[in-house]
Amino acid sequence: MSDQTEKRPEVGPTQCVGPDYRTESQKPVATVSTEIEYDNVITLPQTPQLIALLTMIRDRNTDRADFIFYSNRIIRLLVEEGLNHLPIVEQTVTTPVGRTYAGLQFQGKICGVSIMRAGESMEQGLRDCCRSVRIGKILIQRDEETSMPKLFYDKLPEDIADRWVLLLDPMFATGGSAIMAVDVLKSRGVPEERILFLNLIASPQGIKNFATQFPKLRVVTAFVDQGLDEKNYIIPGLGDFGDRYYTM
Amino acid sequence: MNSGMGLSPIIPDHRDGDDTIAKRAHYSPPWADVSIIGVAGSSGSGKTTLSHAIVNKLNLPWVVIMSMDSFYKPLDPESSKKAFRNEYDFDAPEAIDFDELVSCLRDLKAGKRTQIPNYSFEKHARLENSTVIYSPHVLILEGIFALHDPRVLDLMDMRIYCEADADTCLSRRIIRDVRDRGRDVEGCIKQWFAFVKPNFENYVQPQKNVADIIVPRGIENRVAMSMVTQYIERQLLEKSTRHRAALKSLERGYDSEPLSERVLVLQQTPQLRGMNTIIQDIDTSSEDFVFYFDRLSCLLLELALNNAQFKEHVVETPQGHAYQGLTGKGEVSAVVVLRGGATFEAGLRRIIPDCRTGRVLIQSDMRTGEPELHYLKLPQNINEHDTVLLLDAQMSSGGSALMAVQVLVDHGVPQNRIVFVTYSAGRVGVHRLTKVFPEVTVVVGSMVPDFEERWVEKRYFRC
Repeated sequence: MSDQTEKRPEVGPTQCVGPDYRTESQKPVATVSTEIEYDNVITLPQTPQLIALLTMIRDRNTDRADFIFYSNRIIRLLVEEGLNHLPIVEQTVTTPVGRTYAGLQFQGKICGVSIMRAGESMEQGLRDCCRSVRIGKILIQRDEETSMPKLFYDKLPEDIADRWVLLLDPMFATGGSAIMAVDVLKSRGVPEERILFLNLIASPQGIKNFATQFPKLRVVTAFVDQGLDEKNYIIPGLGDFGDRYYTM
Repeated sequence: MNSGMGLSPIIPDHRDGDDTIAKRAHYSPPWADVSIIGVAGSSGSGKTTLSHAIVNKLNLPWVVIMSMDSFYKPLDPESSKKAFRNEYDFDAPEAIDFDELVSCLRDLKAGKRTQIPNYSFEKHARLENSTVIYSPHVLILEGIFALHDPRVLDLMDMRIYCEADADTCLSRRIIRDVRDRGRDVEGCIKQWFAFVKPNFENYVQPQKNVADIIVPRGIENRVAMSMVTQYIERQLLEKSTRHRAALKSLERGYDSEPLSERVLVLQQTPQLRGMNTIIQDIDTSSEDFVFYFDRLSCLLLELALNNAQFKEHVVETPQGHAYQGLTGKGEVSAVVVLRGGATFEAGLRRIIPDCRTGRVLIQSDMRTGEPELHYLKLPQNINEHDTVLLLDAQMSSGGSALMAVQVLVDHGVPQNRIVFVTYSAGRVGVHRLTKVFPEVTVVVGSMVPDFEERWVEKRYFRC
């Protein structure tokens, strides 16, 4: 791009993004999601619009109102993608103009489970797509003595074993608490293959940890970042999602 | 008589080479083919009355009467003083700014909007504000010298000359000037003998020679009136037939050629098909219909926005890392094609809450099936916006989509900045639109059989 004056930082793979009918030179260059080799991970298409939304919420100067608005837009896209993996049956209907439409209908019941507190920020996006959806909650905190994640609280639908679960947590770093959350779900009778883990930004390490432990569980993410720093924060990441959404 | 057929198809003279006629299939919107009717005659001969009578008799939307009085030249201080002393010759062709008139008429013939000056008889000057008008179906130009300038005559489809007895003319003129134009009787009579009468003999009367019809006794002349209106009606019908034939000819190749690469159809994922099943099912409740339509329209608009303009933008995250991202470039605005496009507004507000939104009302004429532009309100400087989303719920024949895009192009929006968004479309419509406007991006929720009647807006608005 001719008006590009800023220095391009080295933060993962870059490519020209934009619709196919534009030539490479017409498309701006941006960092895109890091390639990963596991096929149980679904990354949203790296469209310019998605990159722009992520840019907005990564920017430390974005205020809370914008942070909430733009992260909600991404969350809705994540939920829409997640719902694609539910089981279906064919269903033909008649349209108001008398044409038949060979469509399909979703089978099976769903519920959301948010990992508190940041995961709760994704509930609105889920409700935007699925009205009156049941939403359970799990609170996992780091134990002061062992510095390992510890389950503090959970409240889940009673029939969760019969449901598909959309597990919600926006930042997928090492996956420590998510692994614990999945263990909780499994202990309640939810099979791995009926869990969809929805997050905005994932790290390759977290994805690897998950793929090894839960090979049948599907991860839906908007973007796989480059890696983790020594404190296990995602690089480049976006800071503490819960703080930016709720309190900052 | 000039039938209007001889005029070359009108395409606005372009500022940039983007949408030259050579590059695209030809489509001339119906309003780019305005019929101009000139009504000339002596002052007080009943031109205005006749014009209004024609309008009433035609009983059509989109008929404009343009008075040549608007085109009096602005007066310099010297002439202005004369004018206030009733010594300025307003009844000579020199008093009229024919250049301005010709340029306005040419704009209208080209289907473009134009600005009509406002002339104040009280001040003998042009007012600051001008009147903006869009090209109508029929334009009646009335004025003493409506048939004077050969350039104007060339643009006309029909030329009428009104004839009236001189005494009648003088008395009508006195009444009008005193009542409407703030003059006194003495001044009027002075003007009559100094200017009006000699000018009549020198300039007005000779226009008879170029007239197609000479109408004596004004509106009392019913035979002449019905001749005029019948002629106009026939001409409009011919135009409408031509327009529909032109639309038809754009269909060629729709079933053999692949769709343009600028046609983007929403990926038919299980989720999307599931939503479509609910939306298309006649038995779905209204609550569900609106909920799922709004949800789907968000996805459609997100897809549309990928065709907006972006630029590179490096940001710093709270931990101090740099991220090379993108940010939207320029303004994204929307134009809703009423009524169908309004079904997208809830979705649009979820994605761009403060999106500037223009509106056009295009309706198909019940008799001819030809789309007609009834209402237009666009954001200011829409020509400077980097992306304009043009929203309509359905596209069947593509007639109203073509018309809506043409309206934007006429308002200076380059084709490649327009993203047409629709819930469903048929191949014929999409093919027509992209043939005529190859650089317009078309975003479609799903492809359906051709020529489907509009039902989405009925379901959404429940009437």
